Amino acid sequence: MEQRLRSEVKALLEQGKIDRVIGFEPGSLKFTTTPLITSDGGDVDHLVINPFIVNNLSVYLTGTSGRVGIVAKGCDSRSIVSLIQDNKVLRENVVIIGIPCSGVIDLTKVERLAGKDRDELDDIVRQGDKITVTVGGERKEFPASEVLFDNCLGCEFPTPREYDILLDEPVTPTPDKAISEQKLDSLREMPPEQRWQFWKEEFSRCIRCYACRNVCPACFCERCFVEESEPQWVLPVPRWQDNLIFQVIRSIHVAGRCTDCGECERACPVNIPLRSLTREMCNLAEELFNYKVGIDKEAPPLFVAYELEEAEDLIR
Amino acid sequence: MPFSVCSIGILHFTGVKLKQAKEWEPKLLGFLCRWCSYAGADLAGTSRKKYPASIRIIKVPCSGRVDPLFILKALQMGFDGVLVSGCHPGDCHYQTGNYRARRRIAITKKFLEYAGIEPERIQASWVSASEAVKFTGVVTEVTKGLERVGANKLFTDERQGDGTATAQ
Repeated sequence: MEQRLRSEVKALLEQGKIDRVIGFEPGSLKFTTTPLITSDGGDVDHLVINPFIVNNLSVYLTGTSGRVGIVAKGCDSRSIVSLIQDNKVLRENVVIIGIPCSGVIDLTKVERLAGKDRDELDDIVRQGDKITVTVGGERKEFPASEVLFDNCLGCEFPTPREYDILLDEPVTPTPDKAISEQKLDSLREMPPEQRWQFWKEEFSRCIRCYACRNVCPACFCERCFVEESEPQWVLPVPRWQDNLIFQVIRSIHVAGRCTDCGECERACPVNIPLRSLTREMCNLAEELFNYKVGIDKEAPPLFVAYELEEAEDLIR
Repeated sequence: MPFSVCSIGILHFTGVKLKQAKEWEPKLLGFLCRWCSYAGADLAGTSRKKYPASIRIIKVPCSGRVDPLFILKALQMGFDGVLVSGCHPGDCHYQTGNYRARRRIAITKKFLEYAGIEPERIQASWVSASEAVKFTGVVTEVTKGLERVGANKLFTDERQGDGTATAQ
């Protein structure tokens, strides 16, 4: 797959079909990758595809000029479709190089299972549904379902639906909502006061670094409401009240755009379970308005579309 | 002096307890569409219909103007509930404003319920300019609902003191 990606990208650059490419290259730390944006054909050999390509690269699309080739997993391609729906990106300006994705590996889960820090692990290899971790010459095997990110386990669209080049055979989706929404279910079981208390505790840790916002392809406002000073909706001080308002409104802003790629939660330096908010938003859009994100690039966005009769039971 | 203004213009209350009402009464913030619900409220007034004085009204050009942020901000400011009221579906002055408001309010209400805010605090209604009786009914019912769930203490914090400004 990697070889094919490199040759396809090289050909696209040489033929002048794209001005630059957005992909992944090996990161400076073990088992990581980092985004690579380049127009240089020589850099193309750095492009990689492995089970650690966690980033949603479509976040760079709005800031990149010219015709762009982009490496996209299932969730990323839906983010791109959603950007096209919002007129943020023109379809003819992107060449989507689709990767059928069977999930990316959560290193924290691997560390927990192997009982070792990621620096002490020698190798992590994925073969189908098995992940083999080598620690000090010893091989340990884990089922993929135990080490993939929660959002990957509930993924309904592992294969990009919108692409120009698909690098491999489509992957059959095997969403397991129960595992993927474990945290959400435990929240739903709580009485409302306890839920509010839970979020209050979580957001007391927030340092308002805005990593969640900056990493999110759906957060493309040129001026975020938190930075407004007239009127000042939220204080810049990281008080939990303002942190909570920020995140709740952010979730509402990304409703119908969030593809549950899980980037916000990964980016969070204080491990706030942000996906438990955004995932619920995806569920609500589907339950209330039968809206699945990033499926149809011609469809109007969630809050622009309407049916003549819907959600009337919520209104007096 | 009960308050001072610091150099960056933020109002500081200096240790003065705001007047406490003898008996707690819910405070409801109403965003009413100027083409229908606002006129409906007006009609309720001119026809001397009685309804609770709990509601404070903000006139908006359309229910579609109401941003979910307004709702949350009102709750943070200490209002016990928010009512968004607009034209009946099909009657919007701008054709589609209330349809869009409906999607936004439905999602906001359900989502805030998931976050832990009582659903009674976020209310919406369709009230036309002639429905003074419906308006009084809605305000009465919503106020009763708020009396049941009690005062809004969502944003108060025992560690940092009162995180809310008091809604007047």
